[in-house]
Amino acid sequence: MEAIQKEYERLIKRANLSKSINDVEHCLRLLENAREAILRDPTTSKMTLVKLQQAMSTGLSKVQDDHKEIYTGLNRYGKALDKTFKAVSTYSTNDYDALTSQAPLIKRAIAMHLIREGQFSVADFFLTEAGPIDVPPELQQEFQEMYEILDAMRTRRDLSLAIDWARQKSAQLEQRGSNLEFELCKLQFIWLFIERPERAMAYARREFSRFQEKHLKDIQQLMCAFLFLQSPEKSPYSRIFADPEKSWNDVAHSFTKEFCSLLGLSAESPLYIAATAGAIALPTLLKMASIMKEKKTEWSTVNELPAEIALPPGYQFHSIFVCPVSKDQTTDSNPPMMLPCGHVIAQESLQRLAKGGSSVTLKCPYCPRESSLHHAKPVII
Amino acid sequence: MSMSTTKLNAESHLLLDQPLLRLPHELLRKTFKTSQKHFERDQNIIMTGVKEAAAKAMAGGDPEDPVASLDSMITRMQGLKRKLESLHEDEKVLQEHSRKRISHLQDLYNIPSLVDEGYDRWSRTRLDRLLVDFLLRAGYGESAKKLAQEKQIEDLVDVDVFVQCARVEASLRRGSTVECLAWCQENKNSLRKMKSTLEFELRLQQFIELVRAGQPKEATAYSKKFLVPHSENHLKDIQKAAALLAFRPDTPWQPYKAMYSADRWEFLANAFVNTHHNLYGLPSRPLLHIALSAGLSALKTPSCHSSVASSSSNTASSTTSLCPICSTELNDLARHVPYAHHVRSSVEPDPVVLPNGRIYGRERLEELASKLGLPEEKIRDPTTGEEWDRSTVRKVFIM
Ligand SMILES: [Zn+2]
Ligand SMILES: [Zn+2]
Repeated sequence: MEAIQKEYERLIKRANLSKSINDVEHCLRLLENAREAILRDPTTSKMTLVKLQQAMSTGLSKVQDDHKEIYTGLNRYGKALDKTFKAVSTYSTNDYDALTSQAPLIKRAIAMHLIREGQFSVADFFLTEAGPIDVPPELQQEFQEMYEILDAMRTRRDLSLAIDWARQKSAQLEQRGSNLEFELCKLQFIWLFIERPERAMAYARREFSRFQEKHLKDIQQLMCAFLFLQSPEKSPYSRIFADPEKSWNDVAHSFTKEFCSLLGLSAESPLYIAATAGAIALPTLLKMASIMKEKKTEWSTVNELPAEIALPPGYQFHSIFVCPVSKDQTTDSNPPMMLPCGHVIAQESLQRLAKGGSSVTLKCPYCPRESSLHHAKPVII
Repeated sequence: MSMSTTKLNAESHLLLDQPLLRLPHELLRKTFKTSQKHFERDQNIIMTGVKEAAAKAMAGGDPEDPVASLDSMITRMQGLKRKLESLHEDEKVLQEHSRKRISHLQDLYNIPSLVDEGYDRWSRTRLDRLLVDFLLRAGYGESAKKLAQEKQIEDLVDVDVFVQCARVEASLRRGSTVECLAWCQENKNSLRKMKSTLEFELRLQQFIELVRAGQPKEATAYSKKFLVPHSENHLKDIQKAAALLAFRPDTPWQPYKAMYSADRWEFLANAFVNTHHNLYGLPSRPLLHIALSAGLSALKTPSCHSSVASSSSNTASSTTSLCPICSTELNDLARHVPYAHHVRSSVEPDPVVLPNGRIYGRERLEELASKLGLPEEKIRDPTTGEEWDRSTVRKVFIM
């Protein structure tokens, strides 16, 4: 990147048309002066023209030199690009497209992404231009509501919309084991306490009784703050009030996650996660692909990638089970099986161990316990 | 834990971003070439004019004579100046694009790791760029413009180039070669260097249309003028074209049936787009496809299309997050791509199994039970919602 930067600086400083324009202007002046001289005194015409020929030849070749400089500058800049992107251009990026035939699905993924990111006007343009796209009809309305609530939280520090929503959905949230409503009320309390402690007291009296059964401990910690009104930093629970900015962010995040989950969607845009994972994976995948090409296979046609790809920790969503015997990942047709001893191996490995049939005793490969095929039981990771 | 990384290798990360700098560079080269062409032509004419005027004066011509020819030279020179000035304006815009793009890429070099917040922001901008690229290629120019505008990334995307490309492409689909021939003329030298056959194919199409219209004479004349000059590389095609005169548009015989076919316009449209992208160093497929097909595979697990709900990723409880591949947006799209390879199991710590065979980390079960305010001895399955006594929970060993 440094080489590119350097050649770029050179380019804008020296290799641009402003010099050529100056030198063209100079030639223009030569012509105009010659014309004037001849008009003033036609007898000098011969002399003037001979001189002009000389001067124009020099002047125009200067313009030519200016052009050469641009040419050189652009070439050097181009070479710097070649060099920086050398590692990547040895792979053709054209061979790895399993998606060309999936246009409707890609369009749907994009439309849903735009909507869930709150890009409603772009989404409208897109649905008109590229439609019809199979997007859930109420999706836009749902996310409009979500962004209204988030906007109230972010710009006006107003939690009432969010709390209303959480109350409305309390049964579903409860089912999910979500404490969102309490989290929201707690933040409301903290915010009031920081701004106007006397109102916080009233708020707590009014709202917290509903949560007492489940969140008694939290409420006690919160109320404890009133004992340290004069020097809140001395409170054993001061950290609750220490970083309200972070609390707002955390609660906004929880709210987004719960809101999306109730719609059956993930909290983060899948398109964003996948595109980012793709950019991270691409160098490894391309190396893989060039190796596979030598073996005359395409990676897009196999069931499983031939090598492991390292992603950042947050990019693992599922637990992974790799059979310790066969080293295969388990699938619907080859599920993980648990032996009575608690060790888990893939079904196919198990069947290989129990060649004699389902009642034959088989020994667990990982401990001394013996059992039989029909004592093994499928598990779900 | 499965193999993971937080290391950001900016150099290899720029795989998708090459066109970002390539395209303005190509356009700058084009601007330069145009300028040089103008200059070389005018330089010749003016120098010849000056020489002639001087020669005439030496030969004792009318001393007032040179004024008229100087006037025309001045006009020409002024014209050249104007052309260069207008090209300089284009040049400035392109250099400014390059500057902003270099600095955008430079930002990536300053981000310490893949888990840095800066990377998240950078990657979001990248996705917006990829989306604009996709929209432009698919011909959704208005959506692309709107997105670029809202995200303020107009300097990082190349709307104009793609809109022009889409215009020519559409004209071919409409059955007109005029726009595309003009484009070929504009890029004549580069196309010759690329050994492009696009212009020949367009000329051939014109010829076919004349034959179809029942104008054999005009067709033959056209062939002489526009096809025969390509005979060095296309002799066979030219012979085939000549033979076409003997076949009616409804002929069942190949290759003449194919030559008359309307599919040829589709072929020309695609050939143009490929040539165009090639010329500007643009990948032939949307960058979003490249990023996504890699990303779908890197994230996909056998559980993502399983008939049994995954224990570790679903929207049933607040203790799990839904996997992007399992989500509605991408699930069908990922159905036919390979899943990621793992060499080691990677499950939540302290795994236990419930009576229904579902495996969870003990901590997650505890967390859910406490969030639900369950009685001390109870546990709830986060996926199915079934409740059990703690005593039924058994330890499992995942090697
Ligand atoms: Zn065992
Ligand atoms: Zn999944």
